[in-house]
Amino acid sequence: MIFVRDDLRPVRRRTVVFLACFVLAFAVIAFRLFSLQVVQAPYWRSLAENNRLRRLPLEAPRGLVTDCNGQVVMDNRPAFQLLLFPEEMKEPERTIQFLTRLGLAEEGEVRARVARAQRTSHLPSVIADNLSWAQMAAVAAHRADFQELAVHPATRRAVPAGPAVAHLVGQLGEVSPAQLAADSRLRPGQLVGKSGIELSYQEVLGGVPGNLVVVVDALGRQVSTLDEEPPKPGHPLTLTVDLELQREAAKAMAGLVGSVVGIDPRDGAVRVLLSEPSFDPDLFAGHLEPARWASLVADPLKPLQNRALQALYPPGSTIKPIFAAGALADGVRTPAQSVYCTGTSTIYGHPYRCWLAGGHGHVSLERGIEVSCDTFFYRLAFDAGLTRLAAWARRLGLGEKTGIELAGEMAGLVPSDEWSRRSRGHPWYAGETISVGIGQGPILVTPLQLAVAYAALVNGGFLVTPHLVPEGGKPPRPTGIDPAVLATVRRGMERVVAGEQGTARRLASLPVAIAGKTGTSQVMRKKEGVKWQELPWEQRHHALFVGYAPPAEPTLVVVAVVEHGGDASSVAAPIVARILAKAFGHDVEISTPQLLLANPSYQPEPTPPSGGPAQLAEVRP
Amino acid sequence: MKRLDLAMFVALLPILVCSHLLQSSTARALAQPAYASRQLLWLVLGAVLLLLFAFSDYRLLLRLAPLFYVAALLALAAMLFLAPLRAGTRSWLVLGPYTVQPSEFARIAAILAAAALGARHQKELLAGRTALQLTAVVAAPALLVALQPDLGVALTFVPILLAVLWLGGLPWRTWVVLALSVLLLAAAAWLWYLKPYQRERILTFLEPDRAPAGAGYQQRQSRIAVGSGGLTGRGLRSGTQSQLRFLPAQDTDFIFAVWAEETGFVGSVFLVLCYATVALRLFAIALAARDRGGTLLAATVAVVFTTQTLVNMAMVVGLAPTTGITLPLLSRGGSSLLATCISLGLAQSVWRLRFANL
Repeated sequence: MIFVRDDLRPVRRRTVVFLACFVLAFAVIAFRLFSLQVVQAPYWRSLAENNRLRRLPLEAPRGLVTDCNGQVVMDNRPAFQLLLFPEEMKEPERTIQFLTRLGLAEEGEVRARVARAQRTSHLPSVIADNLSWAQMAAVAAHRADFQELAVHPATRRAVPAGPAVAHLVGQLGEVSPAQLAADSRLRPGQLVGKSGIELSYQEVLGGVPGNLVVVVDALGRQVSTLDEEPPKPGHPLTLTVDLELQREAAKAMAGLVGSVVGIDPRDGAVRVLLSEPSFDPDLFAGHLEPARWASLVADPLKPLQNRALQALYPPGSTIKPIFAAGALADGVRTPAQSVYCTGTSTIYGHPYRCWLAGGHGHVSLERGIEVSCDTFFYRLAFDAGLTRLAAWARRLGLGEKTGIELAGEMAGLVPSDEWSRRSRGHPWYAGETISVGIGQGPILVTPLQLAVAYAALVNGGFLVTPHLVPEGGKPPRPTGIDPAVLATVRRGMERVVAGEQGTARRLASLPVAIAGKTGTSQVMRKKEGVKWQELPWEQRHHALFVGYAPPAEPTLVVVAVVEHGGDASSVAAPIVARILAKAFGHDVEISTPQLLLANPSYQPEPTPPSGGPAQLAEVRP
Repeated sequence: MKRLDLAMFVALLPILVCSHLLQSSTARALAQPAYASRQLLWLVLGAVLLLLFAFSDYRLLLRLAPLFYVAALLALAAMLFLAPLRAGTRSWLVLGPYTVQPSEFARIAAILAAAALGARHQKELLAGRTALQLTAVVAAPALLVALQPDLGVALTFVPILLAVLWLGGLPWRTWVVLALSVLLLAAAAWLWYLKPYQRERILTFLEPDRAPAGAGYQQRQSRIAVGSGGLTGRGLRSGTQSQLRFLPAQDTDFIFAVWAEETGFVGSVFLVLCYATVALRLFAIALAARDRGGTLLAATVAVVFTTQTLVNMAMVVGLAPTTGITLPLLSRGGSSLLATCISLGLAQSVWRLRFANL
């Protein structure tokens, strides 16, 4: 048998073809490795670093704020924030749905926050703060699904004094894009002061945020810490405010609308600064929910307004000592000169009525202040003229901002003919001067301005700058009013309380001696034969009282304004008395005639104080 | 021993050492220490099997091939009904603490059967009937595996078919017809067979930025791992991509990326060279074989081993879509390792008996 050997040459040839292909393929792989690992290595290395490193913001705790006695006005408490790392968000829609389910906010709001976070994609943003335990647990449970989310310990502003100091401490809010661009130390989503002390002293209280660079794994878990740059906490701040008095004022003003301002007349240190109605400052300690913000903004009683420096009122009779001082200083009146009050006086052919229908008889300047005789001041205004009245008001700081550290202060209004032509389009009517003489008509002040003006009356004639931090005040400016003039005016204000016919004589029995001046500013024309108690709330007069103590060497001036309070001596004066008594160590509860107080109600458009025909200006003290 | 191909062992040894180093590295990253020790056991067992088959007579095995083949088909068919459903497929048999993947062994049976069949036709060109027979022989087990469904393993049957058809000498006209039908089949598969995620994988490969979060994520993380290794790597067990688990399937499909990240260009090219050497030796064995059966057997083993290696590496470096094809010898998995060792042992047997009388 012949053995035929199988010819393997074709098979071998084809095998070599395979081999050649594969050698080529191995070469391609090696070349690709060279390109990835040698040529492009830095690029891929940086991507790997991005994968594993996370820069976490460490929020700086804001500075501690205490009152003049060391009591805590504001501090911080631990809270947990939810951070979003926009770069790692794969499906924003899914994340938004999850965050909404967590109950952080309404879907629209969540959407807005996520969109805001995406604008600064390289840095994490705070999506929510003050997480509840349940929310933290839910985030932790879904960590693998939502690696862009991280729960982060932080602090939250706490205001133990609550609504009583809400306007004073002000609000925190998320840093604006403009602020972010201006200051590189700020972080997206960081909270900065938006009003009050938080805004004015942002530089002091804010601190500098730090950084924590951590290594995370693919599930977003922190594996280790690579680098830590600790935050620099904000500096502590001591206020001139006395929390005891602030609380007392809040108690006295409970249920009322208005404000209380107390300053030390010697240097302008603010002791009390209260605006009612107030709000819970914790609402603004973190990231605000727009719904609650909207409800505060929509409230007709305007709880967000700081009435102490943003609300304008005609000063009413509280203007009288100011004009009295001016008249004495410029020789329009002498202390001995008196006016006979019959209850009505006719000027420019119009009858101007004194609040006391029967008249006060002979009224000297001191007595004019004591009994708040309108006739005396009608005559005074007539003799002085608008220009001098305005100068006297301006000399005591009315018509311009007091310069307190807080933002949003109003300048008020001291009228002039030029002002009338410019803003009202008609010349000043001579009759209006007579109304202005008793603080009615187009003259508007803030409670804080009133406090500063009275401080100058009782501190020897120096205009102080009200301030909330001891070193915040400027040196007092002399007004140049003769001390003898001021002494006369002060005697008149002492008689308001101590005198037999003083309009606030009910305060004479207080454990501390005080002095001051009542004021009622008219909201609407008075109806004949209708008692103020019978008017609806929004038609009642504003009740004002400025008091100070001790009368000889005053260390505290307190202004109380109760909107639509109706009556100065029975509504506003007791509030001031209560605070002054507290300041000098006495707890007094002066019964405010609660029955007389109507509930504050909505007033669509406040009737402007009468600036028109003079015969309307008939006003109670 | 002297009759075995020592060069292949010289290249295999570093691969097996790497395999153990990598398995302990990924076991640490995945917090599964048992993975490394179990894989070491498989490595030892694999080495024993390699030697065992190296000293067997491949001619006897080729003669018994139909027997193995039928047994394999029966086993695969039985899998469809008996195997538990694990991770969506019926490809695993559970034996106590171990799982076995019979499809890996069925592939050896298919190689043997195809080589045996191919050896019977000693003509320069392959007759159409034989070509059909070969196709049927390879396609039958591949379809059964695809039904499990385990597309990754099913795809590894394709190189077997290509190898035996090419080596047998299929006329070029038939290649054209074949290529067209493959295109048709691919289109049909795209439309009716591929699952959405598989389509997504292919699309993602063609357009990497298509879905950075979904299917593109694996490829991207793999490229980051490879690229961040740089020239000399980040050190064993110090690769951030693997140790912090950004790299998916790091103990199986993407294990080469771990090596590339931790040892850099130097280490990865070294490993590529080792694999290339093994492949080269397998082809050398095929060229040195005494008979047609040996040539076909060794060459088929070489083609299967090399394509699997290349496809996996290409996937890791971003030159091929994610297919679920593992890297022979390196990826975790006992069955795959043992099957690879057996096939290498068969090749060694061809080499050992290259001077034997027919």
